[in-house]
Amino acid sequence: MGSTPTPGVVSRTTLAGRVEFSGPRDQGGFVLRRSLRTQITTRVVALSAAAAILLGAALVSLIAAVTSQRDAARVAFRSQQALSLANQLEKSLLSIETGLNRYVATREGRYLRATQRDLAAYPAQTLRLGRLVSDDTGQQRRVQALAEAIRDYDDIWAQSLIDITIEDGFEEARSQVQTNGGRSRLDEVRAQFETLFERERAVIRAREDAAERGSSRAIALGIGGLGLVIVVGVGFTLYLRRSVLRPVRRVAEATGRLAAGDLSTRVPTQREDELGELARGFNSMADSLERGREELEHSNAELTRSNAELEQFASVTSHDLQAPLTTISMYAELLERRRGEQSDGDLDLVDGIRGATQQARTLIRDLLEYSRAGRGNLNVEDVPAGVVVEQALEQLAGAIEESGAQVSVGDLPVVRADRVNLCRVFQNLIGNAVKFTGEDTAHVSIEAERDNGDWRFSVRDNGIGMNPDHARRIFEPFQRLHGEEDYPGTGIGLAVCERIIDQLGGRIWVSSSPGEGSVFHFTLPVATSQRAEPTRVGASA
Amino acid sequence: MTAVRRRTLALLMPLALAAALGACGGGSDDDARKTTDRATPVTHEPIRIGSKNFTEQAILGELYRQALEAKGFDVQLKADIGSTEIIHRALRRGALDMYPEYVGVLLSEIAEDRSRPTNAKAAYEVARKFEQQGGFTMLPQTPFSNPNALGVKPEFAKRHNLRTIADLKRLRGRVQIGALPEFRTRYEGLDGLREVYGLTNLRVTAVESNERYTALDSGAVDIASVFRTEGQLAGDSYVVLEDPKGLFASGHVAPIVSDEVLDAHGPGLRSAIDAVTKALTTPHMRKMNAAVDLLERKPAEVATEFLQANNLLSASSEGS
Repeated sequence: MGSTPTPGVVSRTTLAGRVEFSGPRDQGGFVLRRSLRTQITTRVVALSAAAAILLGAALVSLIAAVTSQRDAARVAFRSQQALSLANQLEKSLLSIETGLNRYVATREGRYLRATQRDLAAYPAQTLRLGRLVSDDTGQQRRVQALAEAIRDYDDIWAQSLIDITIEDGFEEARSQVQTNGGRSRLDEVRAQFETLFERERAVIRAREDAAERGSSRAIALGIGGLGLVIVVGVGFTLYLRRSVLRPVRRVAEATGRLAAGDLSTRVPTQREDELGELARGFNSMADSLERGREELEHSNAELTRSNAELEQFASVTSHDLQAPLTTISMYAELLERRRGEQSDGDLDLVDGIRGATQQARTLIRDLLEYSRAGRGNLNVEDVPAGVVVEQALEQLAGAIEESGAQVSVGDLPVVRADRVNLCRVFQNLIGNAVKFTGEDTAHVSIEAERDNGDWRFSVRDNGIGMNPDHARRIFEPFQRLHGEEDYPGTGIGLAVCERIIDQLGGRIWVSSSPGEGSVFHFTLPVATSQRAEPTRVGASA
Repeated sequence: MTAVRRRTLALLMPLALAAALGACGGGSDDDARKTTDRATPVTHEPIRIGSKNFTEQAILGELYRQALEAKGFDVQLKADIGSTEIIHRALRRGALDMYPEYVGVLLSEIAEDRSRPTNAKAAYEVARKFEQQGGFTMLPQTPFSNPNALGVKPEFAKRHNLRTIADLKRLRGRVQIGALPEFRTRYEGLDGLREVYGLTNLRVTAVESNERYTALDSGAVDIASVFRTEGQLAGDSYVVLEDPKGLFASGHVAPIVSDEVLDAHGPGLRSAIDAVTKALTTPHMRKMNAAVDLLERKPAEVATEFLQANNLLSASSEGS
């Protein structure tokens, strides 16, 4: 059986192979059990087919019953037709006899003509009668005998009597009528009619009984079939509930738990059908998710560690660089003081050293600030933004006064933030607004409004503005749009702001165009303690 | 002419009916085959034998039917047809192929021959020639003779001193004759009695064939029209009046068969019929009549017994 490549064998091999690959327990016994067990698909198809066959059988038997009823009705109709035709025929025979006798008695030609007309009509009528009873051989024979008896009556009696009236006269004919030859012959015919009627009625009754029995049987079959279909349907539903829906629900619930984060969730996998496969698939997915999360946690920890090391390095480096730079600066000053009178030219050199050292120190300070921004232990709490802005304005008082800028502060809310860092953000933004002014007096306004679940702050100025293309670049560290000689600064302020806002769970952006001033926006989460009630702080300088 | 046309129609009718029935899936095939399977007859149609409406005729019909059937002929017996006037016309029209007829009755009622031939042989010859002209063959006649006659109760005969029919003239007042209705208009009936014997005082009371003797017994009638071979006449219960003027002619029976049918079936048919006719002597016929009329046996049974006794039911034999 194994060597011949028949389709059945091939597919069996394929199935066994597939099962061996996918199954976690690839022993021979398992493979055998898998191929022998009925799959849900097979069971569903078999049950549906059984229900369809039952329903079909019930329908077929009903159709058969209806058909046989219809046939019975047709046959009954034919029989009724046959009966009425036979009745008619019998009556017309009686009228022939009566007409004949009247003719003989009265000598009136009209009776003869009527009789002859009736006599001419009966062959066609008996033929029709024969066709109507054609499905019953006994009746056919009776009709045939009847036709013959009628013909005998016609040929032997009626025609002879008519001949006698013509040849021998009415007197002779009357005495012939008295012999009752015609009447007795007719009585025989009528007796045959009676048998025919009785038999036809019996045929009708038999057919009706048969049809009745057939339809009763079919109705019983139909009801039985319907009952079976209901039983199969209920069984099917119960089976689906117990064997399909419940396991599926278990998997669905497990999926919910998995989605909620419980990666240790597993479902039982004893079943060997499609649901077993689903369960195994689910478990394997959960396995791989769990593995993935472990890997992620691991690499996260690694990242955190290397970040901390990097910051440590930057902090240490910048701190350690400060000391030698301070020393260089000190020595330069000492040199300038001692040798101030003698060496005019050297003094410029010393000045240069001092300036460069100062610049390096500023850069290192700013770098240190950037690296520290938002790091360490943030003290996030509900902070009244108005108070923080006030602090910032106090620290900027000199610069504001020097530029003669007008600063207005709107109603500011309480937000979730770190007080010190938030102050630094405002300091940087207001400081920039005061710094990058044009010809006009600088006007700076600070406002806040609700933006869904956050507060959106805006710091607006009427300064030189910027090209919108640069709106992203300005938030990168040490990025400047202008020369040191135009506007002093290292370009670290906005980078520090973005870092802080990012740490506080908000975001920062700018909308601006050259000469039109700039608006810096940033969002912060609403305070948890008090909701959405802005603190009024009015300020100006 | 009309006879031929009628016959053709009569032959076609059952064929058409059988065709109609056969076409509808009926089982009439067997019937159709029956007529063709027989080796002897050449024709496909059954031989239709007629018989009149009284005992002797019923027996004769059965005798011929059974004997012919035994010889392999397909036969249809149409019994109880009626009077000579009716049955002979049916034969002439082609509704029948054959029937046994009384030579005397045929002469007087059909051939209207009032010459009253003196012997049976002469009468037969006249009758045979008459039928020959019409296309029919009168086959040899029976040994038995059953002429019409008038019967009375012995007491009645004694009281009025009656011996012959002519004696009836002496009776005063009306004399009731119980007879079949056709007696009124027949020559071998009221007409002949008036003409030959000058009897004008007779009145006919029409009765059925089997009621004639009871009517006589009850006194409802004085005289009954009887047949000589009737069983009732075997004892002394009745007296038959003599017929000195020979009004009631030959009572021998001869089968009249259509030439067409005789030709179609060949000499076998003729010899089969003759074999039966030859065997019918007066004692035999009277015995058979008595068996039916007095012992109330069926004509068919009586005929079978007779035919068996005379070896006329075996297919090969020619009879005794």
